[in-house]
Amino acid sequence: MRLRQAFVTAVCGVAGVVAVFGAPARAEDTIKIGLVNEATGPNAEAGVFTVNGAKLALDEINAAGGVLGRKLELKLEDNQSTNPGTVLAFSKLLGEPGIVAIIGPIRSTQIQAASPTIAKAGIPTMIGGTDPSLTKVNNRWVFRGRPNDSYSSRVIADFGINELKSRKWAIIHSTDAFGAGGMNVLTAALKNAGITPVLVQGYTNNSQDFTPVVLAVKKSGADIIGSYMTNSPDVGIFAKQLRQLGVNAQWIGSPSLVSVTAMNLAGPALHGIYSVADFTPDASAESKAYTKRYRDTYKIDPDVYSSWAYDAMKVLALAISNAKATTPDAIRKGIVGIKGYKGVEGEYAFDDNGDGLRGYNVVKNDAGKVAFIKHINFKE
Amino acid sequence: MQVLFDNLQVLFQGLALGSIYSLVALGFVLIIRATNVVNFAQGDFAMLGAYSMVLFFTGLGWPYWVSFVGALAAMAVFGVIFNYGVYYPLRHRSFLPVVISTLGASIFLQNTVLAVFGPQPRPLEKVLAADGVNIGGVFLDSQYLVILAVTLALVLFTYLFFEHTLLGKKLQATSQDKDMARLLGIPVALMISITFIYSAVLGGIAGVLVGPILFVSIGMGSIIALKAFAATIIGGFGDVTGAIVGGLLLGVIESMAAYHISVPYKDAYAFLALFIFLLFRPSGIFGEKVSEKA
Repeated sequence: MRLRQAFVTAVCGVAGVVAVFGAPARAEDTIKIGLVNEATGPNAEAGVFTVNGAKLALDEINAAGGVLGRKLELKLEDNQSTNPGTVLAFSKLLGEPGIVAIIGPIRSTQIQAASPTIAKAGIPTMIGGTDPSLTKVNNRWVFRGRPNDSYSSRVIADFGINELKSRKWAIIHSTDAFGAGGMNVLTAALKNAGITPVLVQGYTNNSQDFTPVVLAVKKSGADIIGSYMTNSPDVGIFAKQLRQLGVNAQWIGSPSLVSVTAMNLAGPALHGIYSVADFTPDASAESKAYTKRYRDTYKIDPDVYSSWAYDAMKVLALAISNAKATTPDAIRKGIVGIKGYKGVEGEYAFDDNGDGLRGYNVVKNDAGKVAFIKHINFKE
Repeated sequence: MQVLFDNLQVLFQGLALGSIYSLVALGFVLIIRATNVVNFAQGDFAMLGAYSMVLFFTGLGWPYWVSFVGALAAMAVFGVIFNYGVYYPLRHRSFLPVVISTLGASIFLQNTVLAVFGPQPRPLEKVLAADGVNIGGVFLDSQYLVILAVTLALVLFTYLFFEHTLLGKKLQATSQDKDMARLLGIPVALMISITFIYSAVLGGIAGVLVGPILFVSIGMGSIIALKAFAATIIGGFGDVTGAIVGGLLLGVIESMAAYHISVPYKDAYAFLALFIFLLFRPSGIFGEKVSEKA
């Protein structure tokens, strides 16, 4: 099975490269943007938001006349929420003629898996994964539409130490690329403040029982939990067990803590916790307007899974329009040339690595509503 | 003292999760005994049961117990459909086509539910209103207590049913030797249908009970089924007592090892236990040697 998949991937990859370089797009065509999306599998709930966000941006752009006088077109490809699925999805999109750029997944681990494919094909790809290393692996074709975790960890540490006045930290993290990357940068950020965590505890995604984790937190005597948890259902189970076993420590963590799904599943168990979030409905005029449009269109509140894809689509359109061409090099130049574009997630200023955002919001779960506390931005 | 409480806490969680493995494993074993095939859609029975509950209770707003009974009734009907749609047409074929057929059914069921209910995981109400009780620092989640009690009751019921009722004995006869059973006038096809019904209902109960804890999602069954399948092997392939003990043992092993050794390898311990059994006691705890089977 593996072997067969690898073979198919290889063949598709080669075909993709040929297709991308071999067939120049005709002027009357639409401009095709690929979207690698979690349509099935354990993260499918996030995938719906992603497609919604990208489509909303697409419709707005097309309603305003498109880009370079051409309409944009979205090509969806399911990655089954898995790493091999992501590589396959990229290969499939690369095999389609005329796709000029791709919006990749939001999971760091999936991007890690697909990174060689992206580099080999040389196709501009917007990514949502926040593991800092993703844009530093000698791949000039990935561009991050979200702030990376070296910023989220600094915000988590800064807010926890200075505002919540906590110095006994327990770090809880998923053991995938996102969680492990987050754990590393948070440990480093705390070390800068002279703090060694009393507990660093990993767990695998889709755990059914967090009792051992909760007991470890209890035993450590931590007064604050800093978390990098990947999947929303895990957040729900952990939050419930944490409160059941009587741990009342403060809690501040990565954005999944305030995802619609996690809050829906955990209910009161998540009340009073803090989270960093790159997308917060109340953070800016842009995000407020976006939230209203999203709610009007889909009858549900947007979350980060939709907002980043919305911004990614807008950034690509802007880059193509600024570069006045759809070749990979032109798009790359267009993206890194974006300085000061106000998206719904914040103000974009791309550096040469492809990192576009450098700030996070701190939000609080105030009895089931996400309340905006403050925005912390970094120069570098 | 705290160490003792913590161990008791972990033991409790392990037993409760183990009970769920046991229920699904029991469903596995009953079908293995009746048809000699492994039903890879067994975990999806739990998923379907939980979604039926979501539909009746959350969606249609029926009272809790009416919804519960409704979900089980739906599972009973589904058991019949599953038998005639997935197993019956292939009953004269060898092991493999039937197994592939159940595998296909599993994929079909997951994607059908995905299409109907959407991908968002759903919360589900607990059976009891109380969250749980705290006894000397050990928190006993009310839902876990219910799971343990229901598992115990079902195990008892299954035992009495198979050993002390005529229908149970007919089912046993069918699983031991279909030709002989047919000669004795036992309606074999009906017996197999009943087995599927019972197995689907067991899965449904497991799903409804575990829904409030793991949440109701498309993939919930697959995670449980993998462990339950390991439990049937550890307990003794095709052995009813083995399925129960294997499930409980697996739950306790993985919880204890996660607590005492390392959390990230929690899933690995369950399968490490499986390896050890396959190497040193491939017939499982209660399993008979294959040659001894009639």
